[in-house]
Formats: sequence, structure tokens, C-alpha cells
Amino acid sequence: MLEFGELTKRYGEVVALDRLSFQVHPGRILGFLGPNGAGKTTAMRCVFGLVAPDSGRVTWNGAGIDRETQLRFGYMPEERGLYPKMRVGEQIAYFARLSGMDGGEATSATDHWLARFDLSARGDSKLEELSHGNQQRVQLACALVHRPEVAVLDEPFAGLDPIGMETMAQVLRALAVAGMTIVFSSHQLDLVADVCQDVVIIDNGHVVLSGEVNELRRLSPVRFLEVEVNGRPWTKHVEGVTSSDDNGRHRYVLSRTAPIEQILEQARRDGELTRFAFEPPNLTDLFREAVGR
Amino acid sequence: MTYRRQVFELAKRDFVQRAKSKAFLMSMVLIIGVVLMIGPLLAFADRDPGPTYVGLVGDLPTGSVEAIRLQADFLDYPIELRTYPDLAAVEQAIVEGEISAAINGLDEVIFRDEVSLRLEAVLTGGVANAQRQTLAADLGLTLDEVDVLLFPVAFDQRTLEPAETDEDNARQAAAIAGLMLLYISILIFGQFVMMGVMEEKQTRVVEVVLSRVKPTQILIGKVIGIGLLGLIQIVALGGAALLTLSVVDIADIDLTNLGIEVLGLLVLWYLLGYAFYSVMYGALGATISRQEDMQGVAMLPVLLILPGFFIAQLAIASPEGWLARVTSLVPVWSPMVMAVRSVVSDVATWEVAASILLLLLTTYGLVALGGRIYRGAILQTATKTKLRAAWRSASG
Repeated sequence: MLEFGELTKRYGEVVALDRLSFQVHPGRILGFLGPNGAGKTTAMRCVFGLVAPDSGRVTWNGAGIDRETQLRFGYMPEERGLYPKMRVGEQIAYFARLSGMDGGEATSATDHWLARFDLSARGDSKLEELSHGNQQRVQLACALVHRPEVAVLDEPFAGLDPIGMETMAQVLRALAVAGMTIVFSSHQLDLVADVCQDVVIIDNGHVVLSGEVNELRRLSPVRFLEVEVNGRPWTKHVEGVTSSDDNGRHRYVLSRTAPIEQILEQARRDGELTRFAFEPPNLTDLFREAVGR
Repeated sequence: MTYRRQVFELAKRDFVQRAKSKAFLMSMVLIIGVVLMIGPLLAFADRDPGPTYVGLVGDLPTGSVEAIRLQADFLDYPIELRTYPDLAAVEQAIVEGEISAAINGLDEVIFRDEVSLRLEAVLTGGVANAQRQTLAADLGLTLDEVDVLLFPVAFDQRTLEPAETDEDNARQAAAIAGLMLLYISILIFGQFVMMGVMEEKQTRVVEVVLSRVKPTQILIGKVIGIGLLGLIQIVALGGAALLTLSVVDIADIDLTNLGIEVLGLLVLWYLLGYAFYSVMYGALGATISRQEDMQGVAMLPVLLILPGFFIAQLAIASPEGWLARVTSLVPVWSPMVMAVRSVVSDVATWEVAASILLLLLTTYGLVALGGRIYRGAILQTATKTKLRAAWRSASG
């Protein structure tokens, strides 16, 4: 288990991490969320000693993370960067060897990842000759080539087109099934909901919400109700129930145990009921609620 | 995974990527090509120009031809004499370049446009000797009696210090060439280290590398990888110089042996000097992330090394003077001053050992200092990091 224990980091007056604590369970994918400047990148850098916390520590299976352990981790930093003039295949193999693989292992692992990302034909191209999306794939390949036990990925989906995102999501799911522990940050909450089993939401350097995505949704005291009558949104005022308009959607906000039959009856009286959706909040709703914005 | 194997991988990448670059390969081919031409050029400049052709015309004293030849031998001026029937023919021969000069009886020495005093001395001295013999015979004097009259006192010659030999001159020339190569190599390959560090920071790849290795490993790997490239360049240049000098034959000097000795010293002091300056360059490179900031930061090592470069030039002429002896122990200058002293003079072994030891100790300290600055600056996102801020930012 990867554990962030009471991490605190200050930059002058700015508190980047404020006793940040959470765990990432083996073989699971955890979405690490938070508004810009919440402290996600600082926390991820602490895993690799790139930032030394003022107090607290990150542990893997109960022990501190030393250089040997770090080599069993994979890291994709938020600030993308590889050698622009180095050939793609050489570059991936180089990071494999730097992580401890011998020459033969590094070559076969490189071939595997080039094929996995459909880049086998570009192995001899210089990195700078690749499209942005393909460079992103190479970056992920460099983070994963040495078959790490833990992958820490800072915004791995940023800048990818929908197909690229789906490929990346499939890769992460398959790796987690194979036992890899994955933590990644993202602002694409739909994607996080789709890919992750667990989420941690932080704000101002500390955790404001954490748990299993489905469980968090289920346990939320709030439910949203959307009703359509005769194919059009039904927006009548319901006594004792608040509602909100968001992007053309009219949603009633209810408690989890609210008696919805009355509303159902009321809507039916106005015409043919074409839609009646009573749902827990999605991840975006949970995020907004947690960070209070 | 050992610390050393990672340093090896880091060094290998820097070495291979830079060695493969077209700019490096082309500059190598170009420089070696230029060096290879030095030998044939020297040989051409040193070739035997052959005798100077001189014309004779008009009435000359008996024995003039023989006397001119003797005078030419005495003054080490090889000449070939040709006799012409009249003044017009000899003037035409001079104008057409057939001969360089002519002597016209006891009247005049004729040149084309410029008078050569040495050639004039050969011709007039020779003819005057012939005339002297004729006049002496007329007066009934023997040649010995003439000598006593002309040279009544015979002086001996004595020098207080040995004259500079051809070998001394060759050593001084080798020291100058070696000093230039040493200075340029330390600066160029030191700046390659700085550029490499800056580029890794600029492209942000350093964060990926740092998730696997320690900052000092990156710095050491880069210094080794690029330093090896510089070493290969020096050895290739030295090899080319040895090859090209093997075609030159100057007096009795064994240029090949001298060349090997100088190359050995060059390699030793390059390695020591480069290690010192490249660590400094590397640490400074971590404080910047833009090409345009490089020039300003790169000035510091240049300002440090420059006095050493000038003192080393003075040390070639005066290798045992106090300035040379003191500065060859000062680590920032010793790589150049001690190197040239070792070429042109017999430096005491203890002096060389002390110089190397001091430089190694200082370099070791600089690795710790530079490593900390590198660590503190490399992940800073500001375009330029102050040295003090980098120092504070690095932990321990």
C-alpha cells in the first residue's frame, strides 16, 4: 500500500501541503483530484524525493521509499519532458536501463510498449518529429517500461484526443488488473469516474473527500431528479424542493430519502412522462461540493 | 541497480548522443583535416630552395670565380655562376628572372629591383679577395703577411648561457600549441556540460531522470560522458599531429617522442582541468533554463581560467620564475601553467604531485558544492535561479 502520511510542505507563506494523508491500495486505480494549486503535483513529487516535505512521509508497504524502491515506481510528471532529438525507441530503452533493466530486457520492453501504443513504425523517429499526442504516449511508455509496481501519473490525459484518452484508459485498466497500483491526477472528472475505483479530492493541501467512487456517490445525502414531460423538461415548482438550471438541464435537488412518488404523480398530471431520472451525484457534483466552489 | 551502473548509463547517453550529432562529427573531420595539413605545409616551407644564379660580366680579377665560390661557402649562401658576353645580355637575364644578380667587372653589382646585402657581400667580398691576392702578389707579400695586416688581433668568443637549441624551440612551440588546445578543450567541453544541463532543465526531462537517479549522479554522468568525448577529440588531434609531424625532418630532433610526451601531458592536464571546470559549468547550467541566459552565466569560469591562460604563456619563456612556480600550484590555473612548465622545463616531481593533489582536493570540494547548487536549482521553474537561492533550496 502506498501511503501519504501527514505530509506538510510550505513555500514561504504558502502552505502547499497541510498534513495530507491518504492511501492507495495495491492493484487499484486512484484518481487524485483537486483544483489548480491544491497541492497535487507537490504531493506526487514527494513520492520521488523531488520535493522534501517539511514533515510527514510517503511509505510503500510500511517502509520509507529509498532509491531502490523508487526504481520500482514509474513517474510521469506534469511538466512533460523527454529528449527532443533522441530517437523514440532509444529513449524508452534508455529509461528502462536507467531503472535497472539489462540491455535485452530493455529492448523487448521497448518493443512491447511501442506496439502497445501503435508506435512500432516510429521507433527510429526523433521524438520532436512526433505529434503531441504521440509524444504523450512515449512519455507514458517511459514511465511504465520497467514494469513498475506503482505508477504515479500527473495529468496523463491532458492534451490527448478522445481516441488517445480511451487507449490510455484501457492501458491503465489492464495494468491495474495485472496488479499495478496507479495514482493519477486529472481535471477530466468523467474520465476519472470511468477509469478509477477510488478518488481522493484535495483542496488547500489537505484531503476534503476520499473513498470508492461508487460508494461516495451512493452515500451522498443528495440526489438529483430530472423529469421530462411530452419530451420537454418539466420545470414546475415543487413545494419544499430546490431546483437548479445548469447548461439547459433543470434538476431538482432532493435528499437521498425524499418521497419522489408525489413529484412523479404531479408530473404525470401534466402530460405523458417521457423521462424520470433520479440519480446520485456524479463525480463533478461531488468535487464541486467538496471544494465548495 | 548500482550507483555506478546508473552513472554509466547517464554518461553513455551524453557521450553517444553528442558524438552522433552532425555538428560534432563535422567539426572533428574539419579540425583533424587542418591538423593533418600542418606537416606537409611545414615540409614545404622548410624545403631546400636551391642555389641562387648569379651572372658575371666585364673584366674581373684573376681567380674571381673561385674566390666568389669560397666566399659563398663561407657565408653559407649556395650560388651558381654564369658568364655573359656583355652588359645588355646580363641585364636581360636579370629582368627575365634567369639570374638574381650580376657583378659587372669592378664597377657595379646589378639587381632587378631590390638590393640583397647578403648576396652583394658574397659577390663583392669574393671579387675583393681575388683583387687583394693580385695586389699582394704585385707588392711581393705572402698571403699570411696580408692576413696579419688585415686581421692584427684574433678574438675568442664565449657565451655565458647555452644557446637555445632546436629542441628548446620545438618544446616551446609544442607548449604553445598544447596550451591552446588545452584551454579551448576545457572551455568548449565545459560549456557542453553547461548546455546539456540547461537543456535537460529547459525540456523538463530532468524530472523524469531525477525520479530514478540522484542529482549528483546526473552531474557526474554528464561530466564523464562529455569529458570522454573531449578526450577522444584531443587524442585524435594529437594522433593527427604526430602523424603529420612525422613527415617533417628538423635538425636532429625526435619530434615523435616529443609529440608523445606532450600528448601525454595534455591528456593528464585536460582530464584534471576539465573535471574542475566542467563541474562548475554544470552547477551554473542548472541555474538557467534559457539559451539566452547562457552567455552571462558562462562568463564566470572564463574569467577564472583566463589569467591562467596568460600566465601560462609567460611561463613558457620563464618556466622556473616565481610567478610560474606559484600559479602552477593554484587549482584554477595549475592545469595550464603546470602543463606548459612540464613541457619546457624539468619540474620537480614534488611540485607536480602537489599541484595534482591540490587540484583533486579542490575538485572534490567543488563536486559537493556544485552538486548542492545543481540539486537546489534544477527543479526551480524560474528562468534564472540565484546561486544563493539554489544553495538554500537544496536540502543538506
